[in-house]
Amino acid sequence: MLSAVWSILSSGALFPLVVGSFLLLYVGIAFITDDALIALMEYTRTNIFLTILLSLLPLSCAGRIVAETISYLKRHRALAGNATDVPAELFDETVELAARPSFADLRGRLDAVGYKTHCTDSALIAVRGISTFPARMLFLAGTFCLFAGILVSLSTRTSYRGTVIEGELFPAPSGNGGIVERIVLGKPSGPFLSKSLTMEVAASGPGEVKEKFGLYPPSRYKDAFVYPRYLGVALFIRFSAPDLPAGYESHSILSIYPPGKEAGEEIPGSPYRIMLSLAEPDDGSDPYMTGNMIFLFKLLKGKEIVLSGRAPSGGEFSQGGYRLSFPDSRRLVITDFIQDSGVFLIWTSLILFIVAGSIWLPVRFFYPRREMLFRREPDEIQAWSRAEGRRRMHAGVFHEALDALETSRPVTT
Amino acid sequence: MVLVKLISLFISWAAIVLVLLRGYPGRRPIVSAACIAGFALGLAGGGILIRAFTGELPFWIIRGVVAGSLIFFWGVSVAAFYRSTGRRYVRTRDEHFVASSIYAGAFSLISGILMGWLCASRLPVADSPVSMYMIVALAGATLALAAYALEKLLPAEITVSQAGLAAVVVSLFLFCCSTMPRLDLFSPLTMKVMKFTHDFVHQFFESMLIPDHLFIRSYLWDYIGLLFGNSVGFWGGLIIWFTPVVLVILAIQFERLPLVAHIRQGAVRRKLLAAAIRERRFRLVIPVIALVIMAAAVYKSRYPTVEYWDPKPLPVSADPSGEIFIPKKGEVNLEDGKLHKYLFKKGGKEARFFVLMTPQGKLTVALDACAICKPDGYGQAEGTVICYYCKTLIPLETVGKPGGCNPVPINFTEKEDGVRIDGITLINDWGNTVQATTRIKEGGK
Repeated sequence: MLSAVWSILSSGALFPLVVGSFLLLYVGIAFITDDALIALMEYTRTNIFLTILLSLLPLSCAGRIVAETISYLKRHRALAGNATDVPAELFDETVELAARPSFADLRGRLDAVGYKTHCTDSALIAVRGISTFPARMLFLAGTFCLFAGILVSLSTRTSYRGTVIEGELFPAPSGNGGIVERIVLGKPSGPFLSKSLTMEVAASGPGEVKEKFGLYPPSRYKDAFVYPRYLGVALFIRFSAPDLPAGYESHSILSIYPPGKEAGEEIPGSPYRIMLSLAEPDDGSDPYMTGNMIFLFKLLKGKEIVLSGRAPSGGEFSQGGYRLSFPDSRRLVITDFIQDSGVFLIWTSLILFIVAGSIWLPVRFFYPRREMLFRREPDEIQAWSRAEGRRRMHAGVFHEALDALETSRPVTT
Repeated sequence: MVLVKLISLFISWAAIVLVLLRGYPGRRPIVSAACIAGFALGLAGGGILIRAFTGELPFWIIRGVVAGSLIFFWGVSVAAFYRSTGRRYVRTRDEHFVASSIYAGAFSLISGILMGWLCASRLPVADSPVSMYMIVALAGATLALAAYALEKLLPAEITVSQAGLAAVVVSLFLFCCSTMPRLDLFSPLTMKVMKFTHDFVHQFFESMLIPDHLFIRSYLWDYIGLLFGNSVGFWGGLIIWFTPVVLVILAIQFERLPLVAHIRQGAVRRKLLAAAIRERRFRLVIPVIALVIMAAAVYKSRYPTVEYWDPKPLPVSADPSGEIFIPKKGEVNLEDGKLHKYLFKKGGKEARFFVLMTPQGKLTVALDACAICKPDGYGQAEGTVICYYCKTLIPLETVGKPGGCNPVPINFTEKEDGVRIDGITLINDWGNTVQATTRIKEGGK
């Protein structure tokens, strides 16, 4: 039973089969809906069979890592001249010769064509180039991390959206964040981000420290990533109208950044609705950065615009019995708090892929590993050969080495 | 005249039989008989299906089946590539089955059925008598027998691997489909790729917690924006389209040469290797032909030869109250079942729309654009209108209904003498729908 499980997990066919199954499923879903990728993710998240199928991908990678490491170690032992039994599947070619000549001449010839050789009592080993085994292991480890990350992310990710407002408690999922001291939108930092954003949060209690949350890489708070999504303004609105003499006042959360983006506030129990946006300053500055915010507003009664104008933060506008003021405004950031351990694995996989690629490319194309092993048995010689690149050239050298062993004629290249 | 329409399909059919015969050299009688029987069955089945169901359903089914053959080919090519890159060649159980008479017969029968079905879908639905089907079946059988005779004359060196066989058969199916816009697969594929890329990039950003475009430098966002562009669908479609054939070619190219280390005569070794390399090269001929056929299918899909009814938009204007009036019987007859295009200009803005009498006898007014594609406009063919941009065929019955690639319907009032449309609404709807990529001045195409 265990042996069957092991042969499945270590098989090179498992990975493409599982990926192929998911591709087929995707194609099938794409016939039914336009949002095939999202639907596939949802099915994989909720269907235990698909989750198990997905988990076969990292398991297959782990199986390949173990299987290939075992093969590598066996081959390494054989090439050190220590192995008594050398399985044929470790090498590309295996040949037996009914001859028992000395290896001395052959060793000199192989040295001359660039192979590094060494002899033991009964064996001659010739190797050349660098093995891509480390790069292969890094690649497999990267693939393992990638699919393990996707699996963990799909099956355990939780997301909570909160609004971080200056002067208010940090809306952590656990509910015990400190006061948000300030939100700073700054000038560009680095080659990728056009703005920097810092949310400074005071210590929430004794033993806690002041914390700062930036854009990328995302900061962590407790167990969650802090993922800023949109900017906006928390605006205190005070409004009265001829037919609403009692007035209305409310703190509104408005996603109105960048300037020009509109958001609305319904006045409950009345036909009024206020549409607000940030005015673009004449000097080209960013009102969110400078804090000098001027609000453009439209007052709608039903579908009809009854009033429009502009007023700064702390200012007031009145006309025809309508009065609208903005006594207070604060910066806010709509933020997702995401608990997802899979993200680390996916980041790790990207690093591993880059490192593996950086090793594999030069080694494979400029100095690939080529190996030969000749072993003297009581009445014959056994020979093994393997190459990771430049196979034809290596095979030519190997074949001529065998010819030389049998006929004792010199090896040529 | 009808048979002339089928010439490209007949040539493809003969080529399929030819390659099948070469692919199963020891089973020629079975392959020929299965091909002829399959073709007749497919033709009859296709004819019944098309007559039984009006609308696009029969064509949707056949397009799905051909798409299935492309997926099958993907599987075959990946398996072939995977085997060729292995350290040792192992003959597996499925290869024994593939080489058997049962598989050869089944593969030929299915190919015949599919080809017969394709021919049936090319025949006019309304006015094809049973005798027409019989003539086509007879022509198909004759071509299969001709291929049987011709195959014996081909050079013996040209051999076909199983993957190569699948390559050429599937590529010929795809080519046949590309000659009929309602069966074309490449254009819908590009749309699916575009949608996938969009969703993938979005999900990647979300998963990796990458900030939104608000915080990304504009130069970088311009590069990311390329992934949301229209060309990504075309190029991605090309990759999906050609990759399996390329994999088959690579599989043959990477096939391990025979082991010759046990031979002690260098000349014999070299001769064996040279023969193997030569044989490998000949086996590349068929997949390379498949590559060319698939390229031809893409070309046919991008530049169909079907003529569409696509009148030049007539300029119209609004009266002082802002209403456009189009008489039913004026310069054109709105009730003739044809698509009539109009161009309305106001205050530097323009909108292109059309009026059409649907087969249900209802007048409908719609923008000459859909909510998804660039506004390349629509043309009319038998029973459908086609979106020039994505080549999607929309049955006339559904014109006037919103959604997908359907033309965006416009509110209008039908009077005894004509239709009335609000000019401002029209301009606003056009502006909201087509945004900045408008190609209105090109008059559609």
